[in-house]
Amino acid sequence: MTDALTLVSLLLVAASATAAVAVRDPARQALVLAVLGLALAVLFTVVQAPDVGLSQLAVGSALTPLLILLSVRKVRRRGQHEGGDR
Amino acid sequence: MGRAAAVAAEVLAWWLLLTGAWLVLISTVDALEYLVGASAALLAAVAAQAARRAMSGR
Amino acid sequence: MNGWLVAATVLLAAGFGPVVWGVATGPLERRVVAQNFGTSVVCLVMLLLSQAYVRPSYVDLALVLAVLGPAGTLVYARLLADDLGDDPPHANLLTVVAASAATVIVVAMCVATGPGRATVKLVLIGVLLVAGNVIASRALAGGFPGAGASTRD
Repeated sequence: MTDALTLVSLLLVAASATAAVAVRDPARQALVLAVLGLALAVLFTVVQAPDVGLSQLAVGSALTPLLILLSVRKVRRRGQHEGGDR
Repeated sequence: MGRAAAVAAEVLAWWLLLTGAWLVLISTVDALEYLVGASAALLAAVAAQAARRAMSGR
Repeated sequence: MNGWLVAATVLLAAGFGPVVWGVATGPLERRVVAQNFGTSVVCLVMLLLSQAYVRPSYVDLALVLAVLGPAGTLVYARLLADDLGDDPPHANLLTVVAASAATVIVVAMCVATGPGRATVKLVLIGVLLVAGNVIASRALAGGFPGAGASTRD
């Protein structure tokens, strides 16, 4: 039964990682990366590495999306600013 | 003087709440855990009171 | 091979599979709602896994996720407020589903754990999970006036 659980979590990680590559827009990609982080945390817990899963949750659920979205906002705003000046 | 007393009372309330939560959530309770939890809860209580004041002042 | 393991597998496959699909396809509103629901599902899966592997320390994973998951959704609600503003997503059904699943699982685990500090911890995690999900859903639906994204950085 643990094999089935490991298989399911591996498949979910593969699916969300593929989706993260396939989605192109950075804001939507941040969402998919958050879900990928959740899937990875589940995989780490299933293979009995809960401390790694804890670090993954702590970083991937709030910090990574925040960094990506703030960068997108900065880049977008700088692009608008330069476009408006010209 | 009333302002300072209100601030101190709110920090105390937050500290009690957070230390209580810490003591519930850890696995074994001994003196060192209690000390660590109380110190961390004090920092967090000061931050929480400042955050609440910043939010309500808006 | 025990019931908790089976429940965790079923919840993962039936709950998180659609979440991956919903976050990868469709309009932005559906993706954000899927992310919010995904954090609740994984929190419940962590609770079930802690009971399945008979390691009470795994409950800390559920605790961290119950606090940080809604925080992540609120990040999206705040920073994508412009894109979401036209058609705010309403996910009342998913919120109800998550809340009832959380109640069922937390009650079952409290019964299995027995009285003591561990049960209080489980109840606290359940309350944080449901409250976080409700708050994050309301924030996505645009229900907190005065909290929109500011135009200055």
